[in-house]
Amino acid sequence: MTDLLRAPAEVKYADELDWLESIDDSPKPFSWRLSPRMVLRFITGSDPSDGLDRQIDQKWFGDRSFVERAIVTLASDRGLLLIGDPGTGKSWLAELLSAAISRNSTLVVQGTAGTTEDHIKYSWNVSMVIAKGQSRESMIPSPIMTAMETGMIGRFEELTRSTSDVQDALISILSEKYVSIPELDDDNTVFAKPGFSIIATANSRDKGVNDLSSALKRRFNFVRIPVVTNKRSETEIVRFRTTELLRRHSIDLDVPPSLLDILLQSFADLRDAAASAAGEDDKLESALSTAEQIGVLEDAILHSHFFGDRVLKASTLAGSLVGSLARRTPEDLAILNKYWHGVVEPRSNENGGEWTGFMDGGRQAIATLS
Amino acid sequence: MTDTGFAALRGQLTEAAAAFTDSHEVLSEILTGLVDDVERAIAEPLEIFPVCHHSPASSVAMIRRLREKAPKVIYLEMCDDMRDLVPELRNCTLPVAFQAFASSASSRSGPLSTVAPLSEASAEYQAMAYAMANDDVELVFVDRSTDHVFAWATPEKEKEGTQPPEESTVHGDSVGIDIGDLRPRMQDLERHLLHHGKVRHWSEWWDQYVERSLVGADYNTYRQVMTLIGSLFRRLTPPDSPHLVADENRERYMWTRMREHLAATGTDPADCLYVCGAAHAVSRVEEFGLNAPPTDFVIPPGQGVTWKYGIIPSSYTAIEAQFNLAPGSVSMAAATWKKALKRHRLQPFQLQKRKTKGGKTSAPRSSVAPVGAPLGGFLTEPAGAGELDEAELRSWCVDIVRLARKNGYLASTADAIAIFETSVLLAGMRSRAHPTPYDFADAAVTCIEKDTVPGRRDVRRLCEILLGGERLGQVGYESLPPLARDALDRLATLGVDGTKRSVQRVLIDLKTQPEHEEASRLLWRLRYLLPSDVVRNIMGACTLDERSIQESWDVAIGRNMRPLIELGYVGVTVEQVLEQRLRHVAWNEKATAATVLASVEDAIVYLDNPRLVDDLGARAVELLAAERTVDDAPEVLRLIRRLLAHYRLRHDRLPAWSESFVTTGYAHYCTLLPIAFSDDDTGIRQVGAMVGFLVTLEGLALSLGCDRSQLEIAVKQSRPQLPAKIALQWATRFQLGSLTLEELRDNCDSLLDSPLSIAVFPDYLSGFVQALESIPRLTSFTVELLSSAFARLPDHVLLPWLPKLIARLKEQAGDLVPILVREAGRTFPGSLPAIDGWTPPWSQAPAAMEPTVEVGELGLLLDEYRAPTDAFARLLDVEGRWLAPRADRPDRIPGLVGDHPGSATALANLIG
Repeated sequence: MTDLLRAPAEVKYADELDWLESIDDSPKPFSWRLSPRMVLRFITGSDPSDGLDRQIDQKWFGDRSFVERAIVTLASDRGLLLIGDPGTGKSWLAELLSAAISRNSTLVVQGTAGTTEDHIKYSWNVSMVIAKGQSRESMIPSPIMTAMETGMIGRFEELTRSTSDVQDALISILSEKYVSIPELDDDNTVFAKPGFSIIATANSRDKGVNDLSSALKRRFNFVRIPVVTNKRSETEIVRFRTTELLRRHSIDLDVPPSLLDILLQSFADLRDAAASAAGEDDKLESALSTAEQIGVLEDAILHSHFFGDRVLKASTLAGSLVGSLARRTPEDLAILNKYWHGVVEPRSNENGGEWTGFMDGGRQAIATLS
Repeated sequence: MTDTGFAALRGQLTEAAAAFTDSHEVLSEILTGLVDDVERAIAEPLEIFPVCHHSPASSVAMIRRLREKAPKVIYLEMCDDMRDLVPELRNCTLPVAFQAFASSASSRSGPLSTVAPLSEASAEYQAMAYAMANDDVELVFVDRSTDHVFAWATPEKEKEGTQPPEESTVHGDSVGIDIGDLRPRMQDLERHLLHHGKVRHWSEWWDQYVERSLVGADYNTYRQVMTLIGSLFRRLTPPDSPHLVADENRERYMWTRMREHLAATGTDPADCLYVCGAAHAVSRVEEFGLNAPPTDFVIPPGQGVTWKYGIIPSSYTAIEAQFNLAPGSVSMAAATWKKALKRHRLQPFQLQKRKTKGGKTSAPRSSVAPVGAPLGGFLTEPAGAGELDEAELRSWCVDIVRLARKNGYLASTADAIAIFETSVLLAGMRSRAHPTPYDFADAAVTCIEKDTVPGRRDVRRLCEILLGGERLGQVGYESLPPLARDALDRLATLGVDGTKRSVQRVLIDLKTQPEHEEASRLLWRLRYLLPSDVVRNIMGACTLDERSIQESWDVAIGRNMRPLIELGYVGVTVEQVLEQRLRHVAWNEKATAATVLASVEDAIVYLDNPRLVDDLGARAVELLAAERTVDDAPEVLRLIRRLLAHYRLRHDRLPAWSESFVTTGYAHYCTLLPIAFSDDDTGIRQVGAMVGFLVTLEGLALSLGCDRSQLEIAVKQSRPQLPAKIALQWATRFQLGSLTLEELRDNCDSLLDSPLSIAVFPDYLSGFVQALESIPRLTSFTVELLSSAFARLPDHVLLPWLPKLIARLKEQAGDLVPILVREAGRTFPGSLPAIDGWTPPWSQAPAAMEPTVEVGELGLLLDEYRAPTDAFARLLDVEGRWLAPRADRPDRIPGLVGDHPGSATALANLIG
């Protein structure tokens, strides 16, 4: 337990990583702290039949082959691009991979419209340049350059949000594995040490904003992370993340399984409706990802804890769901209203129980927002 | 028997059990039980050959064993009623599937279909080919019959997944049966094996840990290993598994059948080979073994379903989909089989079109299989002895890049290198010394697949093609059922080649090539009977009213042979099947008069069979008379009108059934009319259609003996409550003459005058519109009514009223509104300036004039001699008056009668 609001994975799982490192006798590529098999075990968890003395919890939920492919990509010459819908766990997987391989998941560049080449390569401490001139001391290396110098994994979040010229700066880094600093007369090249690689993430919904060039695509291996639709896996993910949240806030509150079921069922219904929608106006703006489910539940828990009577109720969950998903007025509200009347109401009449509270809470929330 | 070899293994396993668990008794019992099972199966006097479906290892071992032993009798785990299909395999290109089909007419629960696919790389095909190549070898199918498959069916697991590829649907929705289904019945065991095998699918595990190690292994190793695996899965099957019950029933059946056969033929068991799934080789049923004591098991009777048998084309993808195998696994198995044949220099058995003389193997026979103890050796060797070598992997890397480029990917040599590296890394991560084809496929997807798929196939599909490739089987002409052969022969006149898999474009010009008329009609019939993608009409029509001279077709029979073959189970010719189908529709318990009339139309269009049309027509009459609802009235009216129009146009007289239909319909609808008018649940369209039937077919009905008073009474009895129905009743009365136009106009005016009834006026209008088609006289009045309403009503009434009117008309009379619009177009002036001086026809004062009646000479005759006419008028209670005679009238006929009164007097005397 740390006193950080959100500790990076290498801090949060430091004990586990230390222990895995201590028992890892398999060959490790380059400067990796763990062997590929141990990295896989750290992320996907261990099985009692693996014969380990300690249980390793599963941290990322999804097909194991995705993780395997991601790990071998990092051990090869190419960068790794995790692509998928928002909320599918791309960044979390990237963080876990960096933490397991380099013990540092914080060498991150966030791709935005304002990201410049300096953020990827280096910039200068202007005061020091004025005082001492341009030198390695007055240079501020970017997280990517630091990763190169130390043979670690650098991360680039939301690669497709940054502009083409910034993306192109990555091409030489991924190909030649060095960065030239023409401003310096000597010691003007930073070479990447073995173990350096880049994990980028891209949102498939941003397709077309800043498309990757063919040259850059060629230097990345793409691993597509699908939206989790398997109910069992989704339950696991929501439970895992919610437990973490409750622990972080020191909240003593139970999430009844029936409410979790209602949440999962509602998202599944809304996803089905979105899949069969004729146009953009007929489907919610939200991607209805697992992360959004967690967000809805988190919101409901916090609301119940701080403003309610410390018991999670179906009506609170419904209010939180409507509040989170109704982004466009009137389109999203109309879709939710239709869902509440067409699906939730019959289900409430048929099953009763928590569905009744869920129906009332949702209606009230829709009425308030309308 | 070398007990010592197994004893050592048994001891080793007991030690292992003790080392791994604290209470090792249970584990020890299971492990030693496995060895016991192997020993028991090996010791059986009837040699058991355990197989796994679509396993190259099984088929390689089968070839070797058949050549070595040359058995006289082969017992095969295959439905015993499919045996007669084996000779037909000579004409087929594999993969094909044996099919047993029961049409809905002869079965209790709809069409039933069972398929047993065969690929060249399967052990059972090798056994069949061997048996067919040798006259003195008997092949006996010993498994339960198709009838028992359904009687003993276990609930199928629901299949998840996305839309199946086109090739995987060639089996349709048949139930699959397969020889040697070898898979853990315990989910936990399968999950455990997959987890530790670091694989995703069962097929991958099998390939990795059994298949590749066992291909080319000597016979003893093969037999013992397969039996051991069968025993493991068998012992770990939950005792309450429905599969276990079904398996045991089948085993009892098979052993009973084999014992009966041996007893009947007196064959020496040493000359026999029993080919069955590995799990059956270690059966625990009492009937197992030739030396088992007799039991009271009696082969149970089937369900009594009549089955038809045939061979349909299959494909690797279809086999994978049917048996839940990993995509590409069967094609990979086929590739492995070819490599194994080459490596071990084996000649597979193949069914030749012409029977080869003296093809019997000359290999020395050894009645007892040599038994060694190499099982221990296999168990201690690492898995995956047959993994990819480096050169092969390299060639695949190059080939997949080439294939990817062909399919639109921007793949380069750098990708080939990356795939190679990634494959090796993945294999290392999955604890394999060398990559497997599945590792290679994963690596290729990782390195080549980007954010979009540029062509039709993604990289994973390309890998499947590269590693094995899809293969579609073909059923030879001689093995097709008579119907399919007949259809192909007749289509051949159009140049359609039934063996081609491509879509063939057929152009027919009946004007220049009238001899193609029959083939063209066959295409229309096939289009009616087969799924839409088999025979697709591009241009041309064949309906009751229309027959095109030029037609264009896309024929894809070669690639969709299954539906045509399945038709062959139902009848001998396409026409017969079509007739059966139409009769089935008509005598189905859900049949209605409308559906049967539709069948009558189809029978006229597609078949030249007046007897069938008469039968169907009579059935339609029967159903109409028995109907208690009028839900189908619009459809009935539409169809009977079309059919009557067809007969009037193309034939001299109406058929008896149609006359009967009209008279029955007239009486039927007259009877139901009062109820339909007053019943709120009967829609306005239905009542409108009833009125349409009664009014438009009245002339015909009356000529056939119906009584008009029936309709008049029915209308009088009607007490409609809903506005639309009230309007419809007014319209009917207007048509019957019991309501004049003036009265109708007054009724409507009073509606518009009353503020209470204005709101429902659109409903009245909707009722009138319903009658437009059947009472054309009403069209101008409806236009008048609508125009008057628009003229009279103020905007604040009209504006909320308009949407309701439009909604009503759209909902209830969408197809009748154009009649109204045309009439309005005729009534109103075409230009804006003309409106100023325009007076509506209904506002014009009627011209005061004496009605003029054009009378012919007959009228003059009646005028001259008024007495008979006046007598008739008195009899009919009609009051009338004679018009003033015209001055210029000719008087030839009256003059003629006056000049020659003899004949008139004679007639009067005759009448008396």
